Amino acid sequence: MTQLTQDNSTGFSGILGKICLSPMGLAGLAILFLLPLVPPFNQDYMIRWLISGAIVAAAAVAFDFSAGYLGIVNFGYAAFIGLGAYTSAIISNKIGISPFITIFAGALVSAGLGVLTGIVSLRLRGMFAICFTWFIGIALMGLCLKLDWLTRGPLGLQCDGFFEGNSSLPYYYLILAIMIFTYLVLGLMIRSDYGLAFRAIGQNMEAAMTSGVHPTKYRVINFTMSCFFAGLIGGFYGHYYGILTPELLHTQKTVEVLVIAYIGGRSSLWGGIVAAFPFIFAMELLRSSLSDLPGINLIIYGVFLIAIMVYYPGGVAQFFKNLTARKQRSTSSTAQKAKTAEAGV
Amino acid sequence: MNDSSSAKVIEWLKSAGGITVTCTILVAIAVSFHKGPYVLVNTLVTGGMWALMAIGVSLLFGVMNISNFAHGEYFMIGSLTAYYIMNPLKQYLLETPNDFLSFITPILGIAGAAIVGAIAGIVTDKTIFAQLRKRNREGWLLNCFLITIGIQIILINVHMLVFGNTFKGVVNYWDVPSVAFGDVYVSVDRVVVFGIAMAAIVLFWYLMMYTSLGKKIRAVAQDENGARMVGIQVNGVYSTTFALACGFAALAGGSLLFMFPSYPTVGVAPLYNSWFIIILVGFGNVAGAVPGGFMIALFQVVTRTYMGEGWENVIPMFLIAMILIFKPYGIFATKVRSVWEQ
Amino acid sequence: MKNLNAGYGFLKVLWDVSIQIDRGEFVALVGPNGAGKSTTLKTISGLLPPQSGKITFDGQVINNQDCALNCRNGLSYISEELNLFTGMTVLENLEMGAQLLDDKNKMEENLQFVFELFPRLEERVGQYAGTLSGGERKMLAIARGLMSNPILVLVDEPSLGLAPQVTEEVFNALKVLNKKGVTILLVEQNVTKTLKFSSRAYILEKGEVVLEGPSSELITNDHVKQIYLGT
Repeated sequence: MTQLTQDNSTGFSGILGKICLSPMGLAGLAILFLLPLVPPFNQDYMIRWLISGAIVAAAAVAFDFSAGYLGIVNFGYAAFIGLGAYTSAIISNKIGISPFITIFAGALVSAGLGVLTGIVSLRLRGMFAICFTWFIGIALMGLCLKLDWLTRGPLGLQCDGFFEGNSSLPYYYLILAIMIFTYLVLGLMIRSDYGLAFRAIGQNMEAAMTSGVHPTKYRVINFTMSCFFAGLIGGFYGHYYGILTPELLHTQKTVEVLVIAYIGGRSSLWGGIVAAFPFIFAMELLRSSLSDLPGINLIIYGVFLIAIMVYYPGGVAQFFKNLTARKQRSTSSTAQKAKTAEAGV
Repeated sequence: MNDSSSAKVIEWLKSAGGITVTCTILVAIAVSFHKGPYVLVNTLVTGGMWALMAIGVSLLFGVMNISNFAHGEYFMIGSLTAYYIMNPLKQYLLETPNDFLSFITPILGIAGAAIVGAIAGIVTDKTIFAQLRKRNREGWLLNCFLITIGIQIILINVHMLVFGNTFKGVVNYWDVPSVAFGDVYVSVDRVVVFGIAMAAIVLFWYLMMYTSLGKKIRAVAQDENGARMVGIQVNGVYSTTFALACGFAALAGGSLLFMFPSYPTVGVAPLYNSWFIIILVGFGNVAGAVPGGFMIALFQVVTRTYMGEGWENVIPMFLIAMILIFKPYGIFATKVRSVWEQ
Repeated sequence: MKNLNAGYGFLKVLWDVSIQIDRGEFVALVGPNGAGKSTTLKTISGLLPPQSGKITFDGQVINNQDCALNCRNGLSYISEELNLFTGMTVLENLEMGAQLLDDKNKMEENLQFVFELFPRLEERVGQYAGTLSGGERKMLAIARGLMSNPILVLVDEPSLGLAPQVTEEVFNALKVLNKKGVTILLVEQNVTKTLKFSSRAYILEKGEVVLEGPSSELITNDHVKQIYLGT
């Protein structure tokens, strides 16, 4: 298990450890809180970049919750985000309730679809399950395009903002709060017995079954949680940008989240957060500085993704783990290598 | 027909695969009567090519355990190559008509597409997957899945950057009158494209079953270490497999240029289709890909005809989801369970 | 083949193991579970790259050579998990084993030879390898390993999971093979039987060679008697 904490159970860091944080993580969060107040980051477009980073970071955490632990890559993830976004937007438009409440409605609808997907895809394994979620995503996007009396299709759906005024700063703190909330809830869940069960199912479903772990229950719970937060993040997305198009549900968006989650390091949760901010920031910077070469930032992005997968598949989380484990490494390296050698026998 | 074989046929008809195939044929006939035979023609022309795409994906999956989400981009490479071969030649022919050249232009284009696709496949394997094989076999399936996504992003954007975000297509291949099948007139292009698909499938089947290369590929697919033990150079086999799969995708792209003009994201629909087919018929099922291809093509043609543009992804998707609920390993599922179902 | 120096500084599994086999010998490598016997074979065969050390075969250093190339040079490895092509028939499996041979007649000859060795396989020629019984699979794996005219055959645990009768059959076949001039390196846990059949043996414990010598001597050695033979 790769949590932000090492196993020091005393003092301040011990208390932090109980809520899945470490001094380093806390420092990182503090930086994130203060960043938009410091020049040059206090300019509005910079804050907007930070917000996109935070959105992807939060989504990556919730995505990793099912992909990293259960081993089922939810390839229709963007569709769940989109479902939450549209639900929230439609409810707040039609009934006129505050977006703060409707984003939870959107999250619940997303979670509902998550329950359904979880139940229906239970008999499916590996790639079949991945493709099933993918097909659901494609179907949802198709529906979103065609049901234009409800979603206005490609024209885009207007939605109200959370806050009055033009400043992006309150939005930044809101998404930061959502991100931390997502991380804490899911992190605590991984810490509990559930996390163990998730990993057991993810590694070997049959073995988990024979040791008394009920895959139905855990898979559905996992999917529901992951989709709930997807919906919540989607709700924020809609009310932040003020307009929603079916493009949000596209597989490409899932890929964005997925890439960040994997660059961050699978089954770490926090890796996604660490990867998202610098990465999204760099992407935006590239895009704005190389605007005469459209798509070049995405090419770099693709190359980076491939390079990471080939040369450093553990991602950022692995990097940090190696960093902190360097001291113990010298003594345990022989044992480690023996293990790998034996695994090869 | 003797009793045992007729009993077998009846048994097959009762199986999920049999029921689906029968229903598909019935639907095809019914729709052809209702909306005219063009439904059938379109189904046949595209279905064959989707089958070819699906065979490629299936092959990569079966032999190398790579779930290729960039397969549509090799389709795009094929259509782009075909366009850049055919278009200049056609321009040239406008000024200096030449019967032989105008006859051979599409053939050159399609063959060129397949060759360039195959080369692209080899390059992909050598530069990326061979490196990964050397370094790290852990989490292979997911790593490869992500790498193919990376390849997809790169190829789409390189196309956009270098060739621009425009539609690059040709109207037709041969300026000759349509062929008549009874009352129905079908353009020569469509007939030829259907022929190419069928020929490629038969050729592929022959290659896999009877040649030493095919046997090597099968051996590597079944047991990689075993293959190494009997002296097969697996890296070479992997590159060949990649070349074959990508070559087929590019062949499909080149052949369908008149229906799908080349643009950066032209490969997305074929990619979806090949994955629908594979999920529908079960992984690694090369023989099933052929009926699967026609089935998917029919689903889409029918939904487009009756419900309009844009629904063709929604309805088939729900149908496949339904089928998956009852047959979790595809309609032609065999008892063999492999890596990708774990 | 003059000598095969298999020395590795193979961390934890094999600690500087040195083995030498001369042409025509029937050498056994015995030891308890987890001693590194299979690792040794895997490393020699080229499936597993050695961490350090040198493997010489026929005067050539073959350290990081691919398994496929070793096979071409006459080194045949029959693994514990057999690695059969389960979706192919027995005949196809054997043909794959001989796919490096250019000469079709030679293949027919080898086919006759392995069928003589294992008559059971001839009866099962058209059957899929996946449907064979455990003993037949083992025979098929050995037969496939012999199809390429190897000089040196590495056999990993042929008695694993087999009925005693079938084990006897397999060992006899190996003996016949050795008489024909093929060098054999056998890894086994069944110490008594192995020492009876082989001419020389190495005893491997915790990744190190603790004893070596002619089998007839080892069988009377106190250490061997105490630990492996239980007398």
